[in-house]
Amino acid sequence: MARDPGSASFVALAEAYRRQGRREEALQICLRGLEKRPTDVAGHALLARLYLEAGDRVRACDEWAIVLSLDPDNFEAHRGMGFYQIEQRNLEAALEHLRRAEAQRPGDRAVREGLSLVRARLAKRREHVGQRAPQRAAEEAPQRSAQRAPARPGIDPARLFEPLREETPFLGALIVDAQGLVLAGGIEGGEWANGEALGAIVSSVVEDAVRATSHTTLGAWRGMLVETEQAAVHLAPLRDDLMVVLVAMPGAPPGWILRAAARAAALASAFVEARS
Amino acid sequence: MSDPYREGLDRLSRIRGVRGALIVDGAAGVPVIADVSPDVPVPALAALAASLYRRTERSARDAGLGQVRALQLVAEHGHILMAQGKDVMVVALAEPTAQLGLVRLEVRKLAEAVR
Repeated sequence: MARDPGSASFVALAEAYRRQGRREEALQICLRGLEKRPTDVAGHALLARLYLEAGDRVRACDEWAIVLSLDPDNFEAHRGMGFYQIEQRNLEAALEHLRRAEAQRPGDRAVREGLSLVRARLAKRREHVGQRAPQRAAEEAPQRSAQRAPARPGIDPARLFEPLREETPFLGALIVDAQGLVLAGGIEGGEWANGEALGAIVSSVVEDAVRATSHTTLGAWRGMLVETEQAAVHLAPLRDDLMVVLVAMPGAPPGWILRAAARAAALASAFVEARS
Repeated sequence: MSDPYREGLDRLSRIRGVRGALIVDGAAGVPVIADVSPDVPVPALAALAASLYRRTERSARDAGLGQVRALQLVAEHGHILMAQGKDVMVVALAEPTAQLGLVRLEVRKLAEAVR
């Protein structure tokens, strides 16, 4: 594992460290493992748990969102997101997550208690506003109030990379095809911030990047980081001639960019696979 | 008399995990000096690195992103880091476990220093 952080055993090793109370080492192993295996569901789930145990609920929530994009019925992620949404007072979103968790494990006591709490609060809220609609109809209403809906299949393509939005250096991410056309994602920034312009970069430089790498002994091309005056742009191949483009503020730490790019790639992979 | 190119490459090569480095005439795409293993085709790598950097600069300018400050290729077994100085560009090959922060710093310093 030390020699190969991408080894499939990184989750078991990180879990072993976690059980010994060596949380920082467990976290580092998880982060390094996920750089190599960004679609490892168990890895993201363990990272979420480590963040949660460290009191970092926002990062835990990000990881659960990634888990759900890879495994839409994941019990732990729905349970975690459900309680997070209760804290955020997004009761409809909490209800949806906890109901999906309950469907996976009907006997889970924490989920049952969470559902009771959410239903009681929703009933109180309805009573307060004098709403007469039946509870069931309200429960099945769209989750428009959810601020951080998980990026699971069926989500608006423009919101695919929502889980990364709370990270300060993050300006946006895109899935771009070989012609430079944007399939999903969005960019926030200055006048330059449009997918079409970034698509032009991708389609024009990738071929040279692949060829340059092939003339070394470093193996196949896996990505490219371009640091410019206005932004840092990371490109990485996805599949079927698709690319993931991550855009960050100029001067964003390169280590953060590479990790954020791995998370963007995981979200993009799940999105593409759900549609293939 | 000291050779600033050679000194710069030596400094880069001493960093843990650096497999080699070269200085390339950015406009012509030809190697000025190289310190890489014999299995790396230096002229081809110099030409492709220069071409990639120029193309990226052009695209970034067209997209309104301004000047390119540095470029890093991530490969299966390592990284290629590049920075452009006034006349030459510096290219370094590094292993995945290299001190990348230090390599980036030295590549940029060398690109700015050599003329």
